[in-house]
Amino acid sequence: MPSPTTPRRQPGTRVPLVAAALGVLLAAGAAPAQAAPTTVAQAAPTQAAADIAQRPFMGWTSWTMQSSKYPGLNPDGDYSYLTEANVLKQADALATKLKPYGYEYVNIDAGWWRDNAWVPRFDQYARQTPDPVRFPRGMQAVAEHIHGKGLKAGIYLPVGLEKEAYANGTAPIFNAPGCTTANIVYPDLRTTNGWDSAYKLNFDNPCAQKYIDSQAQLFADWGYDFLKLDGVGPGSFKSGDNYDNVADVAAWQRAIATAGRPIHLELSWSLDINHAADWKRYSNGWRIDTDVECYCNTLVSWENSVDDRFDDAPAWSRKAGPGGWNDLDSLNVGNGEMDGLTRAERQSYATLWAISKSPLYTGDDLTRLDDYGLSLLTNREVIAIDQNGGAPARPVTPAGDQQVWGAKNPDGSYTVALFNLGDAPASVTAHWASFGFTGNASVRDVWNRRDLGTQRNAITAALPAHGSRLFTVRPGTALTSTSYEAEASVNTLTGTASVGGCDACSGGQKVGNLYVGGTVRFNEVTVRKDGIYTVAVSYVSGDARSVQVSSNSGNGSYLKFPSTGDWGTVETVSVQLALKAGANTITFDSGTWYSPDIDRIAVPQTL
Amino acid sequence: MEMPSTRDNHPSRRGFLTLAAAAGAATALGGLPAFAATPAPRRPTTSPMLAPNVAAKNQLWWRAPGSATSMIEQGLPVGNGRLGALASNDPSREFLTITDATLWTGGRNDTLDGDGQFPYGREDFGSLTMLATLTVDIPGHDLGAVDAYRRTLDLAQGLVSTAYDIAGVGYRREVFASRPDDVIVLHFTSQGAGTYTGTVSLAGTHGESTTVDPTGRYASFGASFANGLRYGAAVTAHSGTGTVAVSGTSISFTDCRDLTVIVSGGTNYAPTATTGFRDESVQPQRLARDKVLAAARASVRELLHTHVADVRPAFERFAIDLGASSAGQRELDTWERVQARWRDNVPDPELEAAYLQFGRYLLISGSRGSLPIGLQGPWLDGNDPDWMGDYHSDVNIQMTYWPADRAGLTDTFDAYADYCVAQLPVWTEVTQRLFNTSTNRFRNTSGRVAGWAVAFSTNPYGGSGWWWHPSGNAWLCQNLFEHYEYTQDRGYLAKIYPVVKGAVEFWETRLVTATVTDASGATREVLVADRDWSAEHGPQDTRGNTYSQELVWNLFENYHTAARVLGRDADHARSVDALRKRLYLPEVSPTTGWLQEWMSPDNLGETTHRHLSPLIGLFPGDRIRPDGSTPAAIVAGATALLTARGMNSFGWANAWRSLCWARLKDAEKAYQLVVNNLRPSTNGSNGSAMNLFDIYETNPGRGIFQIDANLGTPAAIVEMLLYSRPGHVELLPALPAAWASAGSVAGVGVRGGFTADLSWRDGRVTQARLTSVGGRSTTVLANGRSRQVNLRPGESVTLRNL
Repeated sequence: MPSPTTPRRQPGTRVPLVAAALGVLLAAGAAPAQAAPTTVAQAAPTQAAADIAQRPFMGWTSWTMQSSKYPGLNPDGDYSYLTEANVLKQADALATKLKPYGYEYVNIDAGWWRDNAWVPRFDQYARQTPDPVRFPRGMQAVAEHIHGKGLKAGIYLPVGLEKEAYANGTAPIFNAPGCTTANIVYPDLRTTNGWDSAYKLNFDNPCAQKYIDSQAQLFADWGYDFLKLDGVGPGSFKSGDNYDNVADVAAWQRAIATAGRPIHLELSWSLDINHAADWKRYSNGWRIDTDVECYCNTLVSWENSVDDRFDDAPAWSRKAGPGGWNDLDSLNVGNGEMDGLTRAERQSYATLWAISKSPLYTGDDLTRLDDYGLSLLTNREVIAIDQNGGAPARPVTPAGDQQVWGAKNPDGSYTVALFNLGDAPASVTAHWASFGFTGNASVRDVWNRRDLGTQRNAITAALPAHGSRLFTVRPGTALTSTSYEAEASVNTLTGTASVGGCDACSGGQKVGNLYVGGTVRFNEVTVRKDGIYTVAVSYVSGDARSVQVSSNSGNGSYLKFPSTGDWGTVETVSVQLALKAGANTITFDSGTWYSPDIDRIAVPQTL
Repeated sequence: MEMPSTRDNHPSRRGFLTLAAAAGAATALGGLPAFAATPAPRRPTTSPMLAPNVAAKNQLWWRAPGSATSMIEQGLPVGNGRLGALASNDPSREFLTITDATLWTGGRNDTLDGDGQFPYGREDFGSLTMLATLTVDIPGHDLGAVDAYRRTLDLAQGLVSTAYDIAGVGYRREVFASRPDDVIVLHFTSQGAGTYTGTVSLAGTHGESTTVDPTGRYASFGASFANGLRYGAAVTAHSGTGTVAVSGTSISFTDCRDLTVIVSGGTNYAPTATTGFRDESVQPQRLARDKVLAAARASVRELLHTHVADVRPAFERFAIDLGASSAGQRELDTWERVQARWRDNVPDPELEAAYLQFGRYLLISGSRGSLPIGLQGPWLDGNDPDWMGDYHSDVNIQMTYWPADRAGLTDTFDAYADYCVAQLPVWTEVTQRLFNTSTNRFRNTSGRVAGWAVAFSTNPYGGSGWWWHPSGNAWLCQNLFEHYEYTQDRGYLAKIYPVVKGAVEFWETRLVTATVTDASGATREVLVADRDWSAEHGPQDTRGNTYSQELVWNLFENYHTAARVLGRDADHARSVDALRKRLYLPEVSPTTGWLQEWMSPDNLGETTHRHLSPLIGLFPGDRIRPDGSTPAAIVAGATALLTARGMNSFGWANAWRSLCWARLKDAEKAYQLVVNNLRPSTNGSNGSAMNLFDIYETNPGRGIFQIDANLGTPAAIVEMLLYSRPGHVELLPALPAAWASAGSVAGVGVRGGFTADLSWRDGRVTQARLTSVGGRSTTVLANGRSRQVNLRPGESVTLRNL
């Protein structure tokens, strides 16, 4: 049965995203297409409790099993997995098996206030109140049990005033004399959230904040430590004023600050990256993408939609940090048969989450973890990478079926991940030059917990289909390169290509407007010896774009450069190109479509 | 540059035969079934294995295994001339697709469709199909925990090997297809404490049930097709260390530090029309069992040495060095190198030479002692190969055999010749009964028919498929006769003579008269081929197509020579000579400036069509010669037509273009077309797959393997280095700049009965050696100077100061 408050992904939901991307494409090189609207209340938000989300949170969520058609999970209808008995069973398993590794949150997802026919229940103040069949002892008893295990409890709400709670506008707002549900929404009852299941709150009326305060107070009183606020826009496949919930999120932050209990505020889903600053300001984490669950006979599947994250995470890599992290959604690698993934896929899934500094919360049945799944979820070295406080990793090579991702760690070492997203085995090579060092480096195989000794200049691994390897690399010598600015007068620009200002770029300029045949050719790129060089390309691209990169008379490669997140951030990927002793050309050709703006290239001085 | 020494790089033909005989493997196909009981091979008494550094010169290697779902692009081929296999080399799951070249459905297919043409389906015409899959599951060896993975295709020794580490322990496996033992062997070894635990599963591909024998020594299956062909396969395994036992229909192995798996299989196909292409005495399942159990009685080392002693001499009859690649190129594995070659457009002479050697490896592996190589050779990944994996007579099978003599694999040509000889009775009967069917639009206007013809496709049962292809017989004979030119082997010529004569007789009934007007305005009567198609485009009812005229001219000329050499049919040969003199030969179009494809100045077809049918007199024929002996206008017209056909085709079409440009001495164009075939194929695009199989994109995103480019391209490389026709040899006729600085080639076949070794520096020949395999005199043109060489068979001469 379709559920109005279920974040079920619709087949057509990609279309508006593509259209939006196209809009940005056409504004090549311009400022962000959308400035963040200043709809936020001006009062300075109370600072969230200092220890919240200093590191990505770890735990378990109920939604994965609720959403699955896996036999036996939801015997009383869709989403019926969510019961006190199941939550406590999972909490007990979490405490036993995973708590020693840092997993602590037990998060109750959608439906705790709805019966198995998805009919909601509210108290007299229009606040969600537990379904007595699912939670016969109420929500506080559940939180107390969870706390009794030394764990933290999480709860869930959709953003806005749920339509069924409106009660013809007559329901009073708790602790807000004179306020009723009629006062907290717009007179025209405009709807909001990812399912249009709620009336949009009107924060011009102080009663709206009071409503949020009353919900937060309830959760604090029950003892909840975490709230997932769902259907939040811009995002959740919605855009436009009615779906702008920045003010809701800000109101929640204020409400939590006065509720008397630290509560982690996590936002869902597919949040609009153009509002990343808002999400970071008012929350502790945000889902960057659609549901990872497949809503099928397993919990997830590779194509639907674990693999989407490889495309979508790079844009967000600079948006995360202590206090707020990029949430890639649940990590369902604990039971291969239930997960619907191969071993290789499960490892790659966990690898991407860890290097992206995503929260690590599984939706698996923790009472049925298999040995391999347990090893994936409890690898302390992998968890340490997730929790090291550093920036998320980025691809250091252009996106393709074989990818190399990396990040410099706070201790000076590098996290290096190899991925094979192809359907067949493939080798993947990480060149140290892609990370700015050269020569010998010591390599630790993180998943297999083995030192691989010293590797010179690069490491190559054979990866199964959808496979990965994860290394910690301690670098040797810094690489010495020669930089060539794209805007240098010695270069040749053709077609639409033009030099433009760029504050973040070296030299303050870049070459942009590379589209439909526009090219920039770096001339007189000089090396001393013939060979194949790792050429670093610094670029700006608010969305993932492709460009044909070639040297001299070569045919080159058509390479997709991952998004830099916005049009004001420079990132670097490296490409392999043959150069001959003496002067060379390196050309970036947009071909038939739109390409990234090019800041500069850097060519190692030695092979 | 050092000349390769004779001892190491150029064993004499005599030496080769001696070695092969020692291996007990020199069996001609004639009369013997393809899959037969043979006496135990004699084992070499000394190790034939190459030192690792020597073997490395002829190895391809990859840093990743292949996918079981992309075997055609990623599996590594092995073959014993009849049995072929593709191996995935995945540590946890070694997977082989096994094909027997004779496992054909279909039959004579001699009931024409309503349009007078042949049916072309998998049931009537038939299809080559797979014999079996073999899986060795080793669950503990998951690729996710594997370090230092490397798999290698050793072209000289015929070995696929895989090496990897797990937790610091080294594992290695080798796969080879032995002709002397008629089995495929998989040998797994480990260092230290490494072990293998898993299962071996042999599965048929047509719904057969594999059973194990009560004693637990082997598993096998057997069945027969609707056409009566019986087939079967068997596998056995043993280990000197762990436990090997039957488990259900599989063989399980536990805690084995070493493991040997031996598989064999075949059919009761026989290349004899009189027995309906069957040998009823052969029981394939039982024979396969006998073969694997017999091989299991030998040590793996003995099997390996016997195999290497068999293939190495064949491989080493030819060597090539096109120059040194860079250190950066050498660091890359073969697939990365293919990608870098295209990306950077920097020549990679070692890769380009390896591509040639890979083609030779395919000929050695796929064309010895059984049927010839069809569109894919014995390397299928399913039972529905495109175009049935058949024999195509309008360029494909001919191209496949172009490198046989050129690149020192003259013996691999036997499969082609024996095939034609064996098919001849049915081809003849069917042609004489059906060709003049009134609905066949290609029928002879004369109302008479003689000799034989084929359709575009042929199978191994004498059957033709799809449309009649009247010129196909002449083209098949072109290869047959050229092999004689290379070998000067009169015994061979006598063997193929009936095939050639039958084709001549067919054309005697097919030529019709036409009146043409010369440029001077004078009219003359000529003989032209009857209504036909200039394969595979343009009108389908034109007379005197260049394609046919050139092929018939060549056929009649070759018949003249054959009859003279064998002292036969003198009167008939004279009458054929008279016909040849009256043959119309193509002109240059005043409209397009191209050599005319039809007897029309107009371009009636597709300008950039893949086929070069009207240029067949340039290559593989050599009636059109850019050396002054052919009117300059004709050469110019051929050049203009070739130019118009363009440089952007695919696989075999690029190879043919390259060969034509080599003949026209345009080294850079010839080279570019070789490079075009080295373009990495992704998502089915035209070019080379990871395993170097040539991929032809039939539809966007759908690529299929066609082996002819893997063999035609090597032929082009050789043709760029040496051109020959009886009595004339030209060294370095089209040497591209990429290979000019220094190089050498040894063992090149020379028409007229010689082999040649030559080396060069800075684009000039520095030394050449000519050895007679039957030829007596020829001119040798090198560095712009011509000299006469006279030798007796077996003699050699080294030419210096060139």
